[in-house]
Amino acid sequence: MGTDVIDRYVTDLGARLQGSKKQVRDLLTETRDSLEDATEAHLHRGLSEDEARRRAVEEFGPVREIANEYQAELAVAYGTRTLIWLAIVLPLMHMAWEYGRMLLIGPWQDFGAMPPSWYLFIAKANDLASGVASGIALVALVLGRILARKYDTKLLAKLAASVAILAVGVVLLGNVAIIAATAHVDVSRLMQSLPMTIASLITWTVIIRLGLLARRCLSCATIVA
Amino acid sequence: MKPDALRGHLDALLLATLDGRQLHGYAIIEALQQVSGGALDLPTGTVYPALRRLERAGHVISDWSTVGGRKRRTYRLTQAGQKALHAERSAWREFTTVIDGVLGGGGKWAQT
Repeated sequence: MGTDVIDRYVTDLGARLQGSKKQVRDLLTETRDSLEDATEAHLHRGLSEDEARRRAVEEFGPVREIANEYQAELAVAYGTRTLIWLAIVLPLMHMAWEYGRMLLIGPWQDFGAMPPSWYLFIAKANDLASGVASGIALVALVLGRILARKYDTKLLAKLAASVAILAVGVVLLGNVAIIAATAHVDVSRLMQSLPMTIASLITWTVIIRLGLLARRCLSCATIVA
Repeated sequence: MKPDALRGHLDALLLATLDGRQLHGYAIIEALQQVSGGALDLPTGTVYPALRRLERAGHVISDWSTVGGRKRRTYRLTQAGQKALHAERSAWREFTTVIDGVLGGGGKWAQT
């Protein structure tokens, strides 16, 4: 039946797309509108209802090719959204953790002996990690806007996903390194305060959540042929 | 005109179509077909990702509104889009002048 041609096309297109639900819904709504508009135009030119719908779908393009182009845009949009989250959440998370620590346990108590220089280096690097990762995300966002028309969308999507993974990786590495280093120097510090242990768990939950977002970015970017 | 030949110019064509007006997706497609006398034969579905790309570049902005009981996403040029269109037009004039100088000579060398 004629009606089914458009329904089938939109359903088939939707099944091939991955990204933010709202973005996918918007694209599919726009697709359906376009197909309905084209059908009306063909009806005015004297085609039958079935023929008009079939022609509208044909003119829209092969579903695989169109899905590929749509997916590249969805992947870039998802990457952009993730980079915005990273740019905002990472420094906020670090600041919240530091303020929480000052409120709950005050300044760090000195170690019994001066910690080794490598420990101080790791501590400093971890303090800087979220700022650096946030900066990387911000630079990627600005470059993404400038290069939007100059580079292939599929390439930009993959780059955005890679930058997101790199940014989360930097923070993850910083956190793992400081925990491992502290455990090595004085393991009792890791269990110094229950509220801080809870704050650390929240931090880890946020990092893991951001990591999953970054991984989904990559998944959205790599299903593009 | 072959779709592959058009693809590289799609952004510029879309910017030109939106110059001074606000249109929804299919209206843009119809305007492109009318202006070209039906010669622009591109899968219409490729227009939407191109519009998103222009939006990402800050050259167009879009709004959803309900027209005739149907939700429509309409597009219009931003100031940056106007500038980009101006640059595209200048580059195109320069390109056609140069190419026309070579291709449009009507075989002058053969006659000399």
